[in-house]
Amino acid sequence: MIEYYTFKHRGDSLEYLDEVYLTLVPSITVAMFYGSKVKEGARSQALLFSELLNSEESANSIADLDSYMEEYLDETSEYLLLRSVNNGIECFRRGDICAKIVRNGQISILPNGYFGLSHEDRIICATSNFYKYLTDEGILADALVADSCSDWMNMLIRRISDQNQLKCGNLSAVTLKLDT
Amino acid sequence: MYDFSLLPDDTVLTLGVALVLFAVAFIFFVIVAIYTLIATTAYSKKHKDKLKLICDVAYFHERGKRDNQEDSIYISPIEKVEESGLIAACSDGMGGLLNGEVVSKYVTDSLSENYPYKFDAQNENAKIISDISNKVYEEYHLGAGATLVMVHIFDDYMNFYSLGDSNIILIRNNRATLLNYKQNYITLMIKKFAEGGIDTVDAYRDTRAKGLVDFVGNLNCNVLKTAKPIRLIENDIIIVSSDGVTDSIPLNRLVNHIHFDQNATGIARAIKYGVKTRRNPRQDNYSAVVIKMNRSFV
Repeated sequence: MIEYYTFKHRGDSLEYLDEVYLTLVPSITVAMFYGSKVKEGARSQALLFSELLNSEESANSIADLDSYMEEYLDETSEYLLLRSVNNGIECFRRGDICAKIVRNGQISILPNGYFGLSHEDRIICATSNFYKYLTDEGILADALVADSCSDWMNMLIRRISDQNQLKCGNLSAVTLKLDT
Repeated sequence: MYDFSLLPDDTVLTLGVALVLFAVAFIFFVIVAIYTLIATTAYSKKHKDKLKLICDVAYFHERGKRDNQEDSIYISPIEKVEESGLIAACSDGMGGLLNGEVVSKYVTDSLSENYPYKFDAQNENAKIISDISNKVYEEYHLGAGATLVMVHIFDDYMNFYSLGDSNIILIRNNRATLLNYKQNYITLMIKKFAEGGIDTVDAYRDTRAKGLVDFVGNLNCNVLKTAKPIRLIENDIIIVSSDGVTDSIPLNRLVNHIHFDQNATGIARAIKYGVKTRRNPRQDNYSAVVIKMNRSFV
């Protein structure tokens, strides 16, 4: 069973410059683009990201897609690609954007490459602006308390809101639970 | 090849004896080396098992400016920590309602009566708390209530349970994190505002914001609980407290009041005097159980 919840919020910025894509077929793929850090042409970089994602390369391995992203996207563009493969996930990222996994009462950053999953692992993918207002212990506690991915996300949003009332730039995150 | 027949007999004999002695010494050396290796590995393994995290516990329980002490705390018997783990709980009678002190005392007494708790039976333990809440409801019909925060620590792991807006705080790496979210009305409003894509400033301005949506004394309450335990590490500090503590010392300033080489008693004392020196004219009752995790021989 796959469970997920996506959160996109403009915050106090004039426009939402991040992008979050989630596809379920043929395998679950999360692609996240952090546009707020791009100094010029964030919108065009986001479109390029989307185009590459929808191209034939994305149907191939995620490692190939990552190399295309590396080649075509601006150096300041940060992105995260995550795809479920067999009993695990492949993850590739550039910049501070990252995915974190909750396992055995602990939380850690997902490394680039393949990572085996076990039952009841929970994953969060988010931009650095989202993580900035959270501690690992807070993310972990909420993951262990939440009944669902939407519950988990709402708890995290409450934590961010308590600090800045969501007036803090673009916020983008996906919470995931993949039962292998 | 060497022709030993050319050597005198006594020299050959001497060489033979030397060879035998060398072989014996070599075999003896190998045996001693293998024995030492096994013994060292076994020793370190044995002592690694003994190097468990142990709980150093202290508490304070102060009245503030209220007429009654409406906080109540419970710490399970320390001598039973090895077999059943440590339970630390704090219950805060709800302000504005009658019998706050009676309800909070009833809650901690009931927790004590139900001890010991199974560590991996979170649903069962939550049911016990829910039953306590139902009994309070049957007695007062929402005319009285209390909050409850409870941690259950067993070896390196911790489960927690919460109802209302009291605090379970974890201090790790010089950062304080509130582990349980507060079950007040503001949580519902933030969810609504965030889904609408707007900021949440108005949610905090709402007069109903701090009103509790769940507490002990509510019928069939929803106990917040960990489905799986949190892994604890050495030097973690856990504070189970009423909101009287964090009303005077905000979470982000809590670490300024403590030193990390202090034991639980020192930390509890520092926080208590931290609240006291604020001289808040409307200081609520303030109580806390402080647990410091130490790595030590049992």
